[in-house]
Amino acid sequence: MKATRSYKAQKVLDRMGNKLNRQMVASLAACVHCGMCTDACHYVLANPGDPTYAPAYKADKIRKLFKRHFDWTGRVIPWWVNAKSVYTDEELEELKDTVFGKCTNCRRCSINCPMGVDYATFNRMARGLLVSVGIMPEGVAVVSKDQWEIGNQMGVLKEDYLDTLEWLSEELVDELGDPRAAIPIDKKDADIVYSINPREVKYDPRTISDAARIFYAAGANWTMPSEGWDMTNFGLFSGDDDLGGAVARRLYEKVEELRGRKLVISECGHGYRSTRCEGQNWAGYDLGFEMESSVITMLRYIHEGAIKVDKSRNTEPVTFHDSCNNARSCGLFEEPRELLNLVIEDFREMYPNRAENFCCTGGGGAMSMAEYTPLRLKSAKIKADQLASTGASYVATSCHNCVDGLSDLIKHYKLGMKVTQLVNLVAEALVIPEKEVLVPVEKVPAVSAGPLDGYKILVVDDEPDFVSFASAILEDHGASVVTAFDGNEALEVARRESPDLITLDITMPGKDGKEVFEAMRRDPALESIPVCIITGQPELRKLIYDRSVPPPNGYVDKPISEETLMRNVRKILEIKQKVKK
Amino acid sequence: MPDELQVNDSKVRLVKGDITDIDVDSFVYYAREDLSLGSGYGNAIAMRGGPAIQDELKELGPKGVTEVVITSAGNMKARKIIHAVGPKFQEEELPHKMRKTIINALKLADEQGIKQVSFPAMGAGFYGVPLEESAELTLSTIKDYLQNGSRIQEVIICLLDTREYLPFQKKLNSIQQA
Repeated sequence: MKATRSYKAQKVLDRMGNKLNRQMVASLAACVHCGMCTDACHYVLANPGDPTYAPAYKADKIRKLFKRHFDWTGRVIPWWVNAKSVYTDEELEELKDTVFGKCTNCRRCSINCPMGVDYATFNRMARGLLVSVGIMPEGVAVVSKDQWEIGNQMGVLKEDYLDTLEWLSEELVDELGDPRAAIPIDKKDADIVYSINPREVKYDPRTISDAARIFYAAGANWTMPSEGWDMTNFGLFSGDDDLGGAVARRLYEKVEELRGRKLVISECGHGYRSTRCEGQNWAGYDLGFEMESSVITMLRYIHEGAIKVDKSRNTEPVTFHDSCNNARSCGLFEEPRELLNLVIEDFREMYPNRAENFCCTGGGGAMSMAEYTPLRLKSAKIKADQLASTGASYVATSCHNCVDGLSDLIKHYKLGMKVTQLVNLVAEALVIPEKEVLVPVEKVPAVSAGPLDGYKILVVDDEPDFVSFASAILEDHGASVVTAFDGNEALEVARRESPDLITLDITMPGKDGKEVFEAMRRDPALESIPVCIITGQPELRKLIYDRSVPPPNGYVDKPISEETLMRNVRKILEIKQKVKK
Repeated sequence: MPDELQVNDSKVRLVKGDITDIDVDSFVYYAREDLSLGSGYGNAIAMRGGPAIQDELKELGPKGVTEVVITSAGNMKARKIIHAVGPKFQEEELPHKMRKTIINALKLADEQGIKQVSFPAMGAGFYGVPLEESAELTLSTIKDYLQNGSRIQEVIICLLDTREYLPFQKKLNSIQQA
């Protein structure tokens, strides 16, 4: 009896033929099952007794379809070459768990294959086929739709992006006492158009202001675009070439509209690969400008003497984690090391490194797929061992995805290390010369009161140590602080005290932070009070942002420093740093 | 190439921009069957419009493919949102379902006395309908509907970027030439 095939399974097979280029076919046909890929994969190393994690095994789940429907061997001798078809939606769901949940597309197996099989390439193709029929992890759907429709992966609205740049710009002008330190938006004919990762706007604005400080010190003619500013591209992860092309095109067209001479891509592995290497093919776009990683830009500034750095400002031991997309796929691994050695005193190499480095385990979109988090963290053991053996207290990386992946595993394996990026270290080492101020900046006289004088802040957390820590900092800066240690108390105190700002933990006994946050947003008496989530569980972000209420005004991960706490509080309350004289 | 099409007393016009951030009587949101706003434009509606919209939707859903509902637009620049549950991801009988979804959205606007409706590139982007097909289905269905008589004065097709805009402009031109 002839087996019937589901509508989606048939669509997947129909589309597969269009995806098969020469490179793909070579990889699908060439495997000899020698097993060389096995020890290259961090999933296998974390699950040594389970052959289903082996790249060759995972590849065969896709290869069997190719053999059955597109390769003559599968038509003539299907039992010999293990050619099989797919019939049901359940089989597609099972394939989804393999291609999204058991591989980060890091390509470490690809470079260790003697036959040249690039498993990551056709794993990505399989992801794209499943996405085209609507089968994907929920997190992939959320991020993809945000990037398709809002224009960036994190759903940052244009007004929020511009507000953040304006706030950072004002801080820089105040801090440096020079109006030329402002961040130029949509400036025409700039030498550099600087594109960023939306994570920088939402969770890590310091990377933007650090970059701006460096451009300022170098006297660069630069700008940031008001639209088309997201250089990340979830199409690389989801396998959706149409998304890849649409995102890349928006970025390229904006640079051309601004008549920018060079597109500089901030530190992001998959963003760099997508924008610099893949986007032109996905979009079918001929570029009229140059592109480079901000790592190269910073290195060039130092070599040319455009900026001066003092490495004695970064004395702690630092190791470097090569992002898979930067190093393995784009060959960018010597320049970051050269730059690091110019701005830090104590560099500790990680082994293996460069193209052989292990994935941060958060790549390939893994950070957005909450259902696979336990598996991801288990597979991170090899990375944790790599990090620990360096003896460094900081790990630097040129990738925002890696920052999140590494931070998560460092916390899980209790390594006590901090994660940073090269832009932060360069900015820390930066020596800014005295410059002539063209336009006098209004000087605000020093005042004895702190910047939070007159503000009442409610600190909500079930950890007394954290409440004491945050309260002391906020009070030192002039705020009056009220506290609550669980959800119900938080609502009660908020209604009674009407604070100007609430810092809110997520995981608490009784009513947790998610419920408290939604209750606050739905309470007419509390809805307009700004809320800053401060949590030790960054993976719970989605639970907050998926609620049908306006999002929090800030979101900060623990552990939190005084500087980070104050920067976020000031941003939310829109308090400018006063010029100290 | 033209950006406008006159159909009886109504006008169809193409604009480039974010459909959730334009000043219009109503706009169409390509909704999920459970009517939850989700991410993308849904995220923008939740953030710009406030929680009242999702609260209204809770009373109205779930809905099947081709069905439409209307809500307020909260704090947004628009006055009303038509949530249209369109076909997704190459599902069966997609052209038929898409036309029916668009007609249902226009009928609802007419019934509500709405004079101005904005549509996105229906089903394109995340839901995978190719842009040329979206342009054909969206524009020809709207034109046919308006030709049969409607009180809607203006239909705005709001397209996010050049990539979306050009196929719609090309299709609009071919309709004018026909």
